[in-house]
Amino acid sequence: MSRKSENKTEIAAASVPQRLTVFGPPLLLEGEDAAAYDELLARMCAAVKLVDVIDEMLIAEIVALEWEVLRWRRVKRTLIQEDILRALRNFLVGQFESNYALHKKHFKRYLAELLRNNLPTEQADSAETLAAECAPHTDEANEQLDVVLRRIGLEINTVLDNARAAKAKELVQEYVRGKQAAVTLVHKLLADAGESMDTFMAKAFAYKIDVIERIDRLATVAESRRNAALREIDRRRPVLGEALGRSVQHIEGDDFGNGELVLELPPAEGKNAA
Amino acid sequence: MTSERKIRANRANAQASTGPQTTRGRARAARNALRHALSLPVCSIPALSEEVETLAREIAGPGANAETRELARQVAEAQIDLRRVRYARHQFLSDTLSNQDYDSLANMRMNAKVLRALLRPSPPDMSMEALRKFVTSTPQGPHKLATVLSGEAKKLQAMDRYERRALSRRKFAIRAFDAARRRGSHDCNN
Repeated sequence: MSRKSENKTEIAAASVPQRLTVFGPPLLLEGEDAAAYDELLARMCAAVKLVDVIDEMLIAEIVALEWEVLRWRRVKRTLIQEDILRALRNFLVGQFESNYALHKKHFKRYLAELLRNNLPTEQADSAETLAAECAPHTDEANEQLDVVLRRIGLEINTVLDNARAAKAKELVQEYVRGKQAAVTLVHKLLADAGESMDTFMAKAFAYKIDVIERIDRLATVAESRRNAALREIDRRRPVLGEALGRSVQHIEGDDFGNGELVLELPPAEGKNAA
Repeated sequence: MTSERKIRANRANAQASTGPQTTRGRARAARNALRHALSLPVCSIPALSEEVETLAREIAGPGANAETRELARQVAEAQIDLRRVRYARHQFLSDTLSNQDYDSLANMRMNAKVLRALLRPSPPDMSMEALRKFVTSTPQGPHKLATVLSGEAKKLQAMDRYERRALSRRKFAIRAFDAARRRGSHDCNN
C-alpha cells in the first residue's frame, strides 16, 4: 500500500463511526482501492451528524451504492477507451504498411535490437551496421535482410509486421500521454486518411453497445437506489438529507467522479499537450 | 387397461427407485433445490438470526416498548437480508472474476465453431500460433467483467430481485418504526 493510501486509511478510520462495521465489510472487487472506499465513507460521515442506527444504515447504503455507480462508469469508460485505442493502433499499422518512411527510423532500431539478441555472439557487435544496411526497404536491402533473417530462423514479413505493431503501440502510448509530436503525427495521419477519433469512438460504441447498455442499466439501478436512500434520510431528517445530497454532488464532481465518460485522449489540435 | 403384469413390474421398479441410499447421497440430494439460499428467511439461519436480534436491540434503543421492539426487529431483519443478498452477489462476481479460465457460453460456442471448421476437409488458412491464441485466450480486466455481466445476466437479475424486495421491506419497516416512535413520544408529551 502506498504512503498516500496509508494516510487515507488513517483519516478514514478516525472519522468513521465504529458501529458502521455492523453493516458488513465494503464489497470491493479485485483491484479496487479499499483506502479510497474508506475515504468516501469518511467524507460522507463528516458531512453530517448521525443521530441513530438507521441513519448509519442509510449512510452505509449511500456510500456502497455511490461506489457502485462510480465502478460501473469507470468500467464503461475503460472498455470504450480500450476499443478506441485498439482501433487507432490498427489504423496506424495500416498507415505504416502503406508508407514505410513513417517507421523507417523505428524499424532500424527494432532490427538492430533483434539482430543483437539473435545473432551469434561474435557477430552481435555488427548488428547496428547490418541493420543500417538492411533497413532502407529497397529491393537489394530487402534481399539482404531476408538472407540475414533466414539465417537466424526468422521471416521478413513477420519481422516487418511485428515492427509495425510495436511502433503503433509506442505511438498510441505517446499519444495518450499527450506527447506533442505523437499527437500532431496521429492527427495528421487521421486527417489525411479522412478519419477521426470520433469514427473510432462510434465504432467502439456500435461494437460494444450490448455490454454498454447492460453497464448503464446497472449504474442507473445503483443511482436510483442511492437516490431512494437519500430521499429516505431527507424524509427522516431534512437537514441531514440536504447535506448528504450536497456531499454526493461534490464527490461526483471531484476526483472520485472521474469515472464519468470523459475519454482521456488529447484535444483534437493537441495544443494543450505537454 | 393396464395389465396385471405391467402393474407388478411398475411396483417392483418403484421399490428400486427410492433415491439416494447413503448418508452422503441423501445430504447431497437434500441440497438439489438450493442455489444461493436467498429465498430462506434470515431468521431460519441461526448466525443471521443472532445478528438480527443484536441490530434490533440497537435500533430500538433502551426502554423501548414491545411494539417498537417488534418494528425494530423487522427493520433489522430486512437490513441483514439486504446485506446477505449483496454479499451473495459480490461473492458470485468475485469468484467468477478470479476464475482464470472463465469465458462466456457465446465465446465457447464460437471457439467450438472455429475448431469444427478447421477439422473439415478444406479448412480455412490459419497459423498454429493464431489458432492457439484464439482458442486459449480468455477475456481479462474490464473485458472479463463485461463478459461476466453478459454471460451471467440471468443469475444477476435473479439476485437483483431479492435485493429489490429486501430494500422495499426495509423502507416500509423504517417508516412503520418511525411512525411508532413518533406516536410514542406524542403519548409521552400528553
